[in-house]
Amino acid sequence: MTRAKAILWAKIRIGRNQVASVRHESKLKVAVVSVSAVLLWIAAFAAFYGAFQWLKQFGADNSDTTMGLGEIIMSRMLSVFALALFFMLLFSNTLIAFSTIYRARENAYLVQAPIAWWEYFLARFVECVAFSSWATAYLGSPMILAYGLVQGASIIFYVAAIGFYLPFISIPAAIGAVVAMVLVRVFPRLPRGSMIGVGIIAVWCLFMYMRGNLSMDKLADPNFQGIQQLLAPTQSWLLPSHWSARGVLAAAEGQVAESLFFFLLLTSNAFVAVFLAAGAAQLLFYPGWSDLLGNDMNRKTPPGRGWVGRIDITLRWMPEPYRALVTKDIKLFWRDPAQWSQFVIFFGIMAVYIASLRDRPVAMESAFWRTWIVCLNIGACTLILATLTSRFIFPLISLEGRRFWVIGLAPLTYRQLIWQKFWLSVSSTSAFTITLVLLSCYMLEVDAIFFALSLYSIVITNFGLSGLSVGLGSLYPNFQEDNPARIVSGMGGTLNFLLSMGYITLIIAAQTTMMVTEVLGVYRSPSHFHATLVLVVAGMAVLSAVTTFLPMRLGLRNLDQSEY
Amino acid sequence: MIKTIGLSKRFGGKLAVNALDLSIDQGEFFCFLGPNGAGKTTTIKMLTGLLKPSGGRAELGGIDIQKHPVATKSILGYIPDTPFLYDKLTGREFMRFVAGLYQLPKEVLNGKSEELLELFEVRHVGDQLIENYSHGMRQKLSFAACFLHDPKIVIVDEPWVGLDPKNIRFVKEYLKQKTREGLTVFMSTHTLSLIEDVADRIGIIHQGVLLHTGSIKDILTLARTPGSLEDVFLELTRGENE
Repeated sequence: MTRAKAILWAKIRIGRNQVASVRHESKLKVAVVSVSAVLLWIAAFAAFYGAFQWLKQFGADNSDTTMGLGEIIMSRMLSVFALALFFMLLFSNTLIAFSTIYRARENAYLVQAPIAWWEYFLARFVECVAFSSWATAYLGSPMILAYGLVQGASIIFYVAAIGFYLPFISIPAAIGAVVAMVLVRVFPRLPRGSMIGVGIIAVWCLFMYMRGNLSMDKLADPNFQGIQQLLAPTQSWLLPSHWSARGVLAAAEGQVAESLFFFLLLTSNAFVAVFLAAGAAQLLFYPGWSDLLGNDMNRKTPPGRGWVGRIDITLRWMPEPYRALVTKDIKLFWRDPAQWSQFVIFFGIMAVYIASLRDRPVAMESAFWRTWIVCLNIGACTLILATLTSRFIFPLISLEGRRFWVIGLAPLTYRQLIWQKFWLSVSSTSAFTITLVLLSCYMLEVDAIFFALSLYSIVITNFGLSGLSVGLGSLYPNFQEDNPARIVSGMGGTLNFLLSMGYITLIIAAQTTMMVTEVLGVYRSPSHFHATLVLVVAGMAVLSAVTTFLPMRLGLRNLDQSEY
Repeated sequence: MIKTIGLSKRFGGKLAVNALDLSIDQGEFFCFLGPNGAGKTTTIKMLTGLLKPSGGRAELGGIDIQKHPVATKSILGYIPDTPFLYDKLTGREFMRFVAGLYQLPKEVLNGKSEELLELFEVRHVGDQLIENYSHGMRQKLSFAACFLHDPKIVIVDEPWVGLDPKNIRFVKEYLKQKTREGLTVFMSTHTLSLIEDVADRIGIIHQGVLLHTGSIKDILTLARTPGSLEDVFLELTRGENE
């Protein structure tokens, strides 16, 4: 057995033992997660299938030789999807490679073992690929299946889609791992201010790029030229995502030779990428590892220096023990690059979203579409909020981890602890999401009633989603894991995300239904509409109260009954 | 067997280990003493290849660990103070994993793994997940795993944490017996009473500088007034600000 194989063997065993330990999990949790995952997959499939069916009808001329407009858009959509996936995998692998190659607890043990750095890298690389790609497979498979069914593709298409997947995900994973290793060599030498500066410049560049390219004029061009122009970069010959999309589409059309060409092109490039990454690891990993370890040992954080150092003073108005707990949470968050670097992504998403609203859509002139756009806007904002609470708030209790005895021995109740987490969540996520709603509503120039309803929705969902995440985080804590990304991807984290999705779906569906029926003139009189409005607003409040208090109560009961 | 020549480590402006020159023979039981923050852990990390020295070099079995890390680590065993073990592996699976890392033949693994699990009294829990082990059991499993590949050198960082008196005695006698068979042991510890029973030679490090090396008898003669090893240690490492 080679050394890399030994590590992978251990990882497979760990995975198998973890799956086996599911039987010790709460039956309800396992059932809810399994059923919800299947339902979510079916819902995604139905949405893609409906969308592809709808698109296919455009420009269809019943000819077998020429592609209709809808088919062109569908094929472009696959290219865009592949490109988006490529960059998502690139970014997520940079972060995952950092935490897996440098920060995992077992690394000190593995590094002192007689293993060459390239071999160590390959073993950890496979782990990174597996960890980063399961979600994309889960979300991408309904789209591929829907496309194949709508296009009436043969079995070759599905085989090709599976065959292209591994080489496709290997390329961004290899690039991401190299980026992580280079950053580890470069960043520790930079002062903290320069690091933040680089981050801000990166987000700003993304914002300006999106601002320049995501023009409503282009998207609304009835001659399709604008969209063609917009999507042209996704068709670049230099992009592995393009090779994948072309290869899979060729397979859908039964052009096996062309599909095989792109498969070989992609696979050979994937091998070269992994080979070069392993070579880079042989050179870069150890100096970076040693520097990082050295920096950790040398890190000085004198009190009162920097905003984090002064946080304790800034929060002096807060009563103890809340001040101590909040200060600790903020400091731990700020000092963990894997945490705040992911937070930067959310700024990126918000920047992209705001950039896309630069021009007020022409459709806003129509009352019907205006209603839909405003409801979709609040849907997008609550989705960002749900992602924030699922990723950053849910793991808060678990992150107390093996230090839980410190809190357990302190003169404070678990009730105080979980409400501290709740208020920390509400105050921090509100700052971002309320700003996002205000900005987006301002840019869309929405009516007063929509403005008020949007603001109300984001405020109450801040409470509901915080209660859900803190409550479920306390109900299903994972004290064995220090990596928040892994805590979130566990059963409890998945359940929290699915329930969060369910909750915001209900909130958005209620107000969308009410507002769309109002535009369609379903209400007999204004008073009838106002009564419905009050009912919906009250219903949203009740649902949010239940979503806040029930999980908090269950979580508190679990902490009280647990032994540490 | 272990040789350091001008081994140094600098963290920013702080010199954690300053030009450490050390030579430890085969079969020697060497104990490394020093107050907290003296540079013991940094030295161990450089000897095990976890940290890259800022200057000088470390040779284990005549091989430079920085130049030939794989070859050097093949003859090295390491027992950390807080044993990291994979929680979701069983004890037996962990032994198999270590055998894979050290590329041991299957037949060696089967016999020796069981023998060591038995010797360190963790065989009865060999099929339980490590997450269910106590600290002492984890420590014993890490000892068992350390000796699986018959290392020529063992570096031990404060090994007594979590072990009961019976196991402390066993580990002490086991390591001593191994040194008689040719194993070289480099141990960092604060438990001075235990050192007196096992150490062939002691090294005292303070503020990154190796102050003295010698047998216990030699070290005891360094005191201005006769006393125990603890008294001498405290006298030698008394801080300037005390």
